Amino acid sequence: MSGIAPAGDPVIPDYGQASECVINNGPFCGDWFVDQWATVFWPPLVDHIYMVIIAVVIGFVIAFAAALIAYRKRWLAGPIGIVATFLYTLPPLALFQLLVPFTGLTLLTVEIALVCFTLVIIFQAVLAGLAAVPEDVKRSAIGMGLNQRQLMVKVELPLALPSIISGLRIATVLTVSVATIAAFVVDSGLGSPILKAVSSPFNTQFIGAGALAVLLAFVLDGLLVIVGRVLTPWMRARV
Amino acid sequence: MTHSSTDPKTTSTTNSSIVFDHVTKLYPGQNAPALDSLDIEVKSGELVCLVGPSGGGKTTALQLVNRLVDLSSGDIRIGDRSIMDIPAIELRRTIGYAIQQSGLFPHYTVAENIAIVPNILKWDKSRTTRRTVELLELVGLTPVDSWLGRYPSQLSGGQQQRVGIARALAADPPVMLMDEPFGALDPITRMAVQDEFLEIHRAVGKTTLFVTHDIDEAIKMADRIAILKPGGKLAQYDTPAEVLTHPADEFVAEFLGAERGLKRLALTTVAEVLVAKAEPERPAESDLPKVEADVTLREALSVVSAAGAHGARVMERGSHLGDVTLHDLVDPPANAVDARNGEGVGL
Repeated sequence: MSGIAPAGDPVIPDYGQASECVINNGPFCGDWFVDQWATVFWPPLVDHIYMVIIAVVIGFVIAFAAALIAYRKRWLAGPIGIVATFLYTLPPLALFQLLVPFTGLTLLTVEIALVCFTLVIIFQAVLAGLAAVPEDVKRSAIGMGLNQRQLMVKVELPLALPSIISGLRIATVLTVSVATIAAFVVDSGLGSPILKAVSSPFNTQFIGAGALAVLLAFVLDGLLVIVGRVLTPWMRARV
Repeated sequence: MTHSSTDPKTTSTTNSSIVFDHVTKLYPGQNAPALDSLDIEVKSGELVCLVGPSGGGKTTALQLVNRLVDLSSGDIRIGDRSIMDIPAIELRRTIGYAIQQSGLFPHYTVAENIAIVPNILKWDKSRTTRRTVELLELVGLTPVDSWLGRYPSQLSGGQQQRVGIARALAADPPVMLMDEPFGALDPITRMAVQDEFLEIHRAVGKTTLFVTHDIDEAIKMADRIAILKPGGKLAQYDTPAEVLTHPADEFVAEFLGAERGLKRLALTTVAEVLVAKAEPERPAESDLPKVEADVTLREALSVVSAAGAHGARVMERGSHLGDVTLHDLVDPPANAVDARNGEGVGL
């Protein structure tokens, strides 16, 4: 018990015990940040990571399947693309507003909205990756007697990987950022301390939470870069 | 599975001729056929070049054989079996296929690329590895160990094409289809890879159908040349020498170009002329320009012309074989040319 109010309540700094920085509401108070890490920052960070991973994984599954269908049936690529783009252009807050009457102030509402934003990015990335597989490679693969499934698994998907990974990177970074708005719907994720700090201006809380969101975006992006490197060794092969 | 089954020199003893029997291809939505009643036979072990201007249907003819394109009418038989009696995917696994830009999988190493067909045919690992090593040696990528793990992006165009040929030969198919395989190479690499491929072809004896738009390549490589004209009609099907000496019509003559006569001289070497000449003349002049025995008459003529001489001294490894006169070069003895003509079949 540190004597300073946890983030859930209005922030009333206890001037009696607090540091100079906290008393003066400095831009960023390291001591307070460390003190409050376990209660104010860590739980929302974990929630945020879950929120993002769930959204990107579900978004990936849906968009990937849609892209495979659109790749096989080219006439579907247009309509699917339009739907996905429409979902992407909706302002996040408006989408929450639209969903709340149906799914309530729940994590489900948040995830539905987040998934919607990932769809168009991943869909286009998968489709662009498949479309960019060189024609001569496909022709020689078919000419050697690969069947359609072998062509997809051995040739088309591996060669689409760089594009798919870059789509996932953009979708992930975007979701980390959009997920902060989820605080308007549920008291969860890094948006929650930011929202509270905005209503009672205490700099360290919202700068700390904001910085964590940025850091999280960098880390997840970096992880995807590493995954991409491991999966595509031929991209780094040099003479 | 004996060792001999993976030997690159294994020549199929069964008939592996390719017969085009009134083959016509009409693409949907077009009113003229791409290939019009093509009737040719490629004998077992023969290398036949399909040449012609674009729009002549040569690539279509090739892709009909491995059913990348479907026949409109007529039939194609490999051996004595119609390709329509074999499921397309199974058929393709028994046909070597090499294309321009090599078509190598950029995400597979050299070894993995060569192993593609063996792997889908579920060969065991050691057999595939043995075969891969043999093939890399065959196409001259040695020491093999330094090539196995490279990616195509780490190879030059010529090296990629060699791997492409090795890959096409991987499962020891009796028949090879090659679609402008050397089209993207620079002239010097191209000559080298052509020579190597001819050597490989002589060693392995695969029935080969080879598409090229380059008549010089066809003259150099082919046992017989099929010249297609726009509309997919066969203009002439004969040996290079015969095509050059007796073009079937105006179109063929024009396609062969103004240097047709010189191209014909490129088919014969000075050594062949020396052999054909009954008694070697030994003119007293010793200032004749020297040429190596394996140069073509065309090259020898160029040397003679550059030296302003009337003949050339034929050398082999430093020793004097005999002399050829300007007359020999321009109008070689008929049996010298014939010696080359008969060579093609049954390598």
